[in-house]
Amino acid sequence: MNTFGLRFGARISRRTLLTGSAAGFGWLAASALMAENAPSRSQINPLAVKPSPLPPRAKRVIFLFMKGGPSHLDTFDPKPLLDRDDGKPFPGQKPRVQFAATGALLKSPWAFRNHGRSGLPVSELFPHVARCVDDLCVVRSLHGTNAAHGGAVLKLHTGSDNFIRPSMGSWISYGLGSENQNLPGFITICPTFAHGGANNWGAAFLPAAHQGTPLGNATVPAADAVVRHIRNPRLSVSQQRTQLDLLAEMNRAHLRQSGPNLALEGRLNSFELAFRMQMAMPEAQDISGESDAIRRLYGLDDKVTENFGRQCLMARRFAERGVRFIQVTHSDGDVQWDQHGNLRKGHAKNAAEVDKPIAGLLRDLKATGLLEDTLVVWGGEFGRTPAAEGGRDGRDHNPEGFTMWLAGGGVKPGTAYGATDDYGWFAAEDKVHIHDLHATVLALLGLDHEKLTYRHAGRDFRLTDVSGRVVRDIFS
Amino acid sequence: MDARLLVNVHRQESAGFLEFRSLPSVSMIVSVPCHFRSALCACLLACVAWARGSTTAEGAAIAGFNASSKLGDSTDARAFWSFQPMTRPEPPATSQSAWVRSPVDAFILKKLEEKRLKPAAPANRRALIRRATFDLIGLPPTPAEVDAFLADRSANAFEKVVDRLLASPHYGERWGRHWLDVVRYADSNGLDENVAFGNAWRYRDYVIRVFNNDKRYDQFVLEQLAGDLLPDGANADGRTERLTALGFLCIGPKLLAEPDKVKLEMDMIDEQIETLGRALLGTTLGCARCHDHKFDPISTEDYYALAAIFKSTQTMDDLKTIAKWHEPVVARAEDYRVQAESDQRVASQRLAIANSVSEANRRLLAARGTNGLPQDPEKLYPSNTLASLERLRAGLKKMEEEAPELPTTMGVTEATNILSSLPVHIRGSHLALGKPVARGVPRAMTLARSPQFGERQSGRLELARWIADPEHPLTARVMVNRIWRWHFGRGLVASTDNFGRLGESPSHPELLDWLARRFIADGWSVKSMHRLMMLSSVYQMSAQAEREAESVDAENRFLSHFSVRRLEAEEIRDALLFVSGGLDFTQGGKTIPLKNREFVFNHTSKDNTRYDAPRRAVYLPVIRNHLYDLFEQFDYPDPAVPTGNRGATVVAPQALLMMNSELVGQEARRFAERVAAEAGANDARRLNSAYILAYGRPPASEERRKAERFLAVFRAGVADASSARADAWAALCQTLMAANEFIYLN
Repeated sequence: MNTFGLRFGARISRRTLLTGSAAGFGWLAASALMAENAPSRSQINPLAVKPSPLPPRAKRVIFLFMKGGPSHLDTFDPKPLLDRDDGKPFPGQKPRVQFAATGALLKSPWAFRNHGRSGLPVSELFPHVARCVDDLCVVRSLHGTNAAHGGAVLKLHTGSDNFIRPSMGSWISYGLGSENQNLPGFITICPTFAHGGANNWGAAFLPAAHQGTPLGNATVPAADAVVRHIRNPRLSVSQQRTQLDLLAEMNRAHLRQSGPNLALEGRLNSFELAFRMQMAMPEAQDISGESDAIRRLYGLDDKVTENFGRQCLMARRFAERGVRFIQVTHSDGDVQWDQHGNLRKGHAKNAAEVDKPIAGLLRDLKATGLLEDTLVVWGGEFGRTPAAEGGRDGRDHNPEGFTMWLAGGGVKPGTAYGATDDYGWFAAEDKVHIHDLHATVLALLGLDHEKLTYRHAGRDFRLTDVSGRVVRDIFS
Repeated sequence: MDARLLVNVHRQESAGFLEFRSLPSVSMIVSVPCHFRSALCACLLACVAWARGSTTAEGAAIAGFNASSKLGDSTDARAFWSFQPMTRPEPPATSQSAWVRSPVDAFILKKLEEKRLKPAAPANRRALIRRATFDLIGLPPTPAEVDAFLADRSANAFEKVVDRLLASPHYGERWGRHWLDVVRYADSNGLDENVAFGNAWRYRDYVIRVFNNDKRYDQFVLEQLAGDLLPDGANADGRTERLTALGFLCIGPKLLAEPDKVKLEMDMIDEQIETLGRALLGTTLGCARCHDHKFDPISTEDYYALAAIFKSTQTMDDLKTIAKWHEPVVARAEDYRVQAESDQRVASQRLAIANSVSEANRRLLAARGTNGLPQDPEKLYPSNTLASLERLRAGLKKMEEEAPELPTTMGVTEATNILSSLPVHIRGSHLALGKPVARGVPRAMTLARSPQFGERQSGRLELARWIADPEHPLTARVMVNRIWRWHFGRGLVASTDNFGRLGESPSHPELLDWLARRFIADGWSVKSMHRLMMLSSVYQMSAQAEREAESVDAENRFLSHFSVRRLEAEEIRDALLFVSGGLDFTQGGKTIPLKNREFVFNHTSKDNTRYDAPRRAVYLPVIRNHLYDLFEQFDYPDPAVPTGNRGATVVAPQALLMMNSELVGQEARRFAERVAAEAGANDARRLNSAYILAYGRPPASEERRKAERFLAVFRAGVADASSARADAWAALCQTLMAANEFIYLN
């Protein structure tokens, strides 16, 4: 994965070694940097907390990813003209590149109502989230570049649809480090292996410590989602401790013989860190201590919402423990939010699974004060077309205009930003490209997307490549 | 340029461009198409940053970027060292001539003397044979091999070891795998739609054979780029081999569901050009897709001159989602015979069914005494007729299912439409075409013989011959540098895949050129290079550094000692199985458990690929986007991009894998069982055996004491007395496998 040099043969001074020994979960992964510069603390331990270069509004991110492309037209972006012209052809110019052929306009099967003091409209698909609408900043003018799932999912996660690039969570971990040295800085709960798979939480050329740590995958129930190899199937904790004590003695003796060597000492420590992580991870995932009220809040008492509710509750627990970037994926391992046909049934089912848990998460974060410095982002890889597909009960992929919402962490609550055209096909006002979203999320965390760079293969890379506009208008 | 340059980004809807506009005076407009806001254009970033006078200007400054020079085609840029002809250096004279065993040593020693560094003492023999064995075949030496080497007091004892290893069929499995890193080998497409490359293994096995047979490297290059265009030899096997080599161009990741088909094709061509550039020439050609290369003398004209060659080459047979790549048939006479026989069987079964039906119908008509058959006559057949018909049909179905397909391999062929030129795609966009450029090669690398392109061929063969030309300034240098990197852990040019201005400058430029010339003179033989490098004093030094080396050369650029090396992912995995006695040495063949073009994942997240086969790791499936976790944890290269320089990170998840994974637990138990079977009941003898198997040495007395104490403590803690001893031994063996000595070489 890394094309930079193997420099662990290098002799490093004793002082450097000692500086390193106190480091955390992923220390040492940035070996390559050492050859180019004298190692600073952050290079020895890539997950050490780094101060935000700019004043941060948020300290961490929870990204609620709705895989497949939820329809903005049926959730957060009502279009009266679409209702009026139902069944008529789209009067505008359809995009040059489309995923599939579409027919006449299709009005939303769901009614919208204005909610809260802000009066923002939400469809009846999201009754619980609607009650939190005064905390949301609904961005209705997102647009991307790729009309197929693979390209669009990669674009959303990594900023690139045709090259392997570090994911947003990895960049953020790289930029800010982790507040908990016994847990990874970037955790992705039940991710999908489809459409880019591990690239969507991969570190690409960034130091490996910044890669997302997956908990289970989309085919695994949230209750069974664990980090690979986190439990020993054979040994008790005390047996393993005995074993690790012998291992440490052997490694120390070997180190004395070979002389100071950063890699050998780093590896010696990595076993201790792994041992601590074995304790920290199950503790963070153990929800048995949560009250009944909290369980109900997240919908854990209902079969429909139990799975996603558990994912959201785990996200809150990781947020509390200082994990920097937490992704929660809603994906049923099959077609997810991708209703080319069967829109009424499919979207209703999907919304029912996530609505209450998301509202529960928002309320819980607010009640505990975490929402103040936690940025919650909701959305899919694209929206859907106003024109029908699949026997007038479906919509095609639409990367030209769609909605995502943000909450907490320094965004204006109870507001809508940007707009699509009259029928909701193209982003039209205050357009926000995926690169702009990335730039904005980084800015909220106190990172300048133009300065957060990494030198690889002779070039400086960025999450936003050569684009990105910070949407300051949505800052609180 | 205006230091207060503002960058204004906006989107031009119709053409899909991003535009950087300098305000207020329009002194610089750089547009980047939305589709390609890719890293290719990240170099642009450095320029913009530099133009803005911001602190990130160092990117430009480091590279010697100069505002006044017109990049892309300047003579100044052409003068860069790696584009100049190779020199003909002589090994320098040095003071410590006793240390100089090979010309390689003279170059190294000369630099060490300049830096006032002393070469380290020779490595001890146990360390040396372990180093060399992993290096050449990716496995530890057997205890018998260690003993034989220790006992051999002849002057050429080590030479014999090297020759034995070079002759081993496992050599190709290790060094072929190095090459597979460079050519981003994988068994699946990855990227947007992950489907199986069910025939990529043929290319993998070809590469392993190439290394085992020490095929000339220039021939290897020709076959991989133009195997289909090389003159046919007498035998069909040679042709199969050359077609299989074309996997090089075909196995890259592709956006198979890209709705924009023109873009799909140009992206794929770009991937081919970028791979060719990095793998064979150490040049990042891809940068020039959107703009003249900012740092190396590659212009957009150069890029599209190459693109015209690949646009005249057919890689995809069908661009419809899911797009289909080209697979030529590589059948032998035997395959055709087997297929003909199968066709024959199917035909006669069909005939038997038809006969049986018409006979039954005839009887039916006779019995009913009418002229017309009823709608569904079979309903009226006697039961025994029906039963026999069913049997015949079931037989046919089985035959059809089992019908052998002619073997195919991933490759390319000549396009039906050969282009003599291709327009420059302005800022990389296929929607904005500029002036046409004729097929050609990068002008900064012009050789005495410039290729002439025929009207009826794509030009791949001419391109391949130009690359394989002994006077090409990059081809031999890049390859000998790779070989050096794989032996010593660091290239003479540390950036193995980038010999350009943003790459690193060579630590020993004369040695690099001397090796490149020698490589060509020795018939492009990779095995000769191994002998040359390994039989030197520099290879055989100890990994113990002198004190001065630490302060003067912490990175060990100048090779005052051997650099400690962590085993690579496959070596770690294979060493576990080798030591436990469970490794299956079968070579080659299809190992991915998926049908060709079958989905690994589409919308689902289920991966049916398994990694528990005890075959050598080089044969385990390589699934893009979902690598085997052991590979991924231990710095396996991203199989989407050419990599000549793997990392060796240390992260906690590696420790979790060694502590808790099924694989390590199982191999530790097997290792313990093997030790018990070989050494008997006595713990001391078992310890001896375990240490020798794991580390190639017996335990020291202190180690013995600690291990015995561990066994006692562990046994006491196991409730079930009947398994206590075996459990304790398994835990001990796991510790031996997890220890640094197991995965780091001195």
